[in-house]
Amino acid sequence: MSIQTPPRPLDTALESASVRTPAPAKLPVPADPHRGRKAMLWGTATAVIVVLHLLAVAGTDFDPTLLVDGWQGMARFVSGAFPPNLDWEEVIKPGLDATLVTLWIGLLGTTLSIPSALLLAVLASRTTSPHPVAYQISRAILSFFRAVPDIVFALIFVTAVGLGPFAGVLALICHNTGVMGKLWAESMEETDQGPQDALATAGASRLQQITHGSLPLVIPQFVGLLLYRFDVNVRSSLVLGLVGAGGIGLLINQAIKSFQFDTMLTHIIIVLILIIVVDQASGFIRRKLAV
Amino acid sequence: MEQAALKVSSLAKSYNGRRVLDDVDFEVKRGELVAFLGANGSGKSTTLKCVAGLAEPDAGRIELEGAQLSEFSGRQLQLARSKAAMVFQKIHLVPRRTALDNVCAGALARVNSLASVSPLFFSRELREEAMGCLERVGMADRALDRVGRLSGGQQQRVAVARALCQRASVLLADEPVSALDPNAAEHVMELLAELAHNENLAVAAVLHQPDLALRHADRAIGLMHGRITFDGPVASLNQNVLDTLYSPERNAA
Repeated sequence: MSIQTPPRPLDTALESASVRTPAPAKLPVPADPHRGRKAMLWGTATAVIVVLHLLAVAGTDFDPTLLVDGWQGMARFVSGAFPPNLDWEEVIKPGLDATLVTLWIGLLGTTLSIPSALLLAVLASRTTSPHPVAYQISRAILSFFRAVPDIVFALIFVTAVGLGPFAGVLALICHNTGVMGKLWAESMEETDQGPQDALATAGASRLQQITHGSLPLVIPQFVGLLLYRFDVNVRSSLVLGLVGAGGIGLLINQAIKSFQFDTMLTHIIIVLILIIVVDQASGFIRRKLAV
Repeated sequence: MEQAALKVSSLAKSYNGRRVLDDVDFEVKRGELVAFLGANGSGKSTTLKCVAGLAEPDAGRIELEGAQLSEFSGRQLQLARSKAAMVFQKIHLVPRRTALDNVCAGALARVNSLASVSPLFFSRELREEAMGCLERVGMADRALDRVGRLSGGQQQRVAVARALCQRASVLLADEPVSALDPNAAEHVMELLAELAHNENLAVAAVLHQPDLALRHADRAIGLMHGRITFDGPVASLNQNVLDTLYSPERNAA
């Protein structure tokens, strides 16, 4: 004698469901009237990108076989760097001192560009600019400072103030004004204009609308971009050291020129640690601000 | 007879050749809450925006407390206009600042421009007045909270307090409760009616729900295709009038 098990609730549910809801009726998909044009667009885009890359390969003498053939030269260079020279008095201590200079160049280059970047950003943002002419002129100034590389500014300032970190600070101020001003102006254009309008209806002046309606909304973005630029500027000040603006970049350059690759490696390790610390610190602050 | 706080006559406005306001006339007196009703695109928000200066009318006269706005320009126009304060559907406060700082910002028109670039320089007198405004809307206990931490209804109360700190006699509310839950909407509407009746303000509110108008407003103005088709006490706002205002075939345009 077998005991018949009653159907489980789930089975009945599924069964009745399949009874009640038949598969939806099928309809032919309408032909895409733009199909030919889309295919042509994609084809053209692909062709253009391929041609650009072929031109770039030719223009840069791109040739992996050279790298394979010349690997011994590289190996000599790298093996000369190992083990790193860890002499405290001769290598590490001067390296740390110079790293600090690099950090100071990056810091001053960032913070001292805040006033000029802020002024130009307010003038160059469509939502806060007082006049179309002021908008165009400030855009042009920002483009100029952005277009001239910081290393060119450094070479110019070296002729005025001589070799040393001060020329590096001045160079970073100029270039960073251009980049940060542009980034700030864009973030101001993207924010909600509502509070600014609300203050306008309350009879607030243009300056008041900006300081009480627009700027407080973008402060988190501004600080985030400022930290990002600090991060970039510390790395730029390394390169500026190579052209005589002092700091650890200068020491790395000297080590290479005198074939002391083991000293160079120690300095690069110090730089690596600096970059990681700055990156982590600015990331930490940005996360705190985002809340 | 008492002079109307807000008097609009022959107001006209077109967007891209499409008429959105056509010969609009109305008055709002101190002590009354007037509800503006109508389907989407009937021109009720545009009317308030023209008064507040957020839209430029093509023709017509706007008088605030007897001052004819077209006689002023530049800074003088801005000051004449600040007799009317606007409350928005999207609230438009600064979320990262405290309720108190946001309310103080309503008074910027009468604060010296250079000394007012930051809330740090707001005077004790102004702060105390702002506290009074927050107390009036029942938000004094949250004065030092950032606005972003408040609920939608609380934020709209703070926005009303900012309007009070502006010392305006006309309060323009553009769908002030459309983004709020029914309970918060009811409270904000009660507050607006109280301000009209007890503080003698002239309140003009664009509303999306006729039942809110029936419960809280004294008078209703109905707009259709940019023309006023109804203007009378809410008691006379019967189903027939509402059906016409919101009839789909007449608003099909």
